[in-house]
Amino acid sequence: MAIDESVLAGLRREIGVEHCEELGEISAILVKRFATAVGEQSLLYTDTTYAQACGYADVIAPPTFVTAVITWTPGAPYDRLREDGTEADTHLPGVPAQGVRIMGGGEQMTFHEPVVAGTTVTRRTVLLTASERASRQGPMLVARYRDTYTDPGGVSLLESVRTVLLR
Amino acid sequence: MSITPTDLQTGAALAPTVYRTSKVQVFRFSAATWNTHRIHYEKDYAVAEGYPDVLVQSHLHGAFLTQYCTDLVGEDGRLAALSLRVRRFAVAGEELTVAGLVTAVTALGGARAAVELDLTETRGSDGETCVTGTARIEVPLTWIAVEATTTPPPTPGESSR
Repeated sequence: MAIDESVLAGLRREIGVEHCEELGEISAILVKRFATAVGEQSLLYTDTTYAQACGYADVIAPPTFVTAVITWTPGAPYDRLREDGTEADTHLPGVPAQGVRIMGGGEQMTFHEPVVAGTTVTRRTVLLTASERASRQGPMLVARYRDTYTDPGGVSLLESVRTVLLR
Repeated sequence: MSITPTDLQTGAALAPTVYRTSKVQVFRFSAATWNTHRIHYEKDYAVAEGYPDVLVQSHLHGAFLTQYCTDLVGEDGRLAALSLRVRRFAVAGEELTVAGLVTAVTALGGARAAVELDLTETRGSDGETCVTGTARIEVPLTWIAVEATTTPPPTPGESSR
């Protein structure tokens, strides 16, 4: 599949449609591994006892943690992977499972509340815009998605608007 | 890194921080984020795609910018917003330098202040800019100089809502 009108039409059908996904409980071990991988020094991310002494129920996640995790599922079986190793099915509405290359085009994040390990998080995803533009490598589609992450009480933890490039 | 009110004046360049990446770090970041893209752990694939070696993930670039800001403010402040765009790749093993420039300082209510930053991340091998971004940090009002205005800054990403 190449980038063509059908791909753009498929994206545009999703504009404004909200998709909701329960990401599950943010586990302390995932938070600690992420912080360790990055090289974070703050004990708020890696030391439960310290975080509790600071008034949190458990460690808190570095601000970009929940947006950086590619999938919150157990992972796709091997026959549902693209050639580049990524999962065919993304959480991005309207993106075909095969035949397109997905690239990042920037992200804007607003952080409202710390994400504390143990919190069950819900993500609501909306495709905001989709358009076609020319590039040196040929036609490209530009899609902008907004992800809103909330806790069980509906409190917004953070919001991300990311630009995705499809070729 | 510690900052003083003098550092937080509009136009002030903040001290840079160097982040030393490695293949082990890139692998661990992929594992921690379930990032299975071959370009981050399979050199032959990266070379076939036109790169000299496996690449630093865009989210790891973002994590360095985040760490720069959160280390700046410590536990007395917070990172309120971050916007970034990866413009050039970095291979695992690069030294990446993040630097900040204060573009605005604004008094908020509750004895707090918002500080707007322009951020860059450059790669050590050739000095090229890999990432550009902006951030808004919130700090105690006592941290800032007296130049602060009372007009709230725009929220990054607000125009796209």
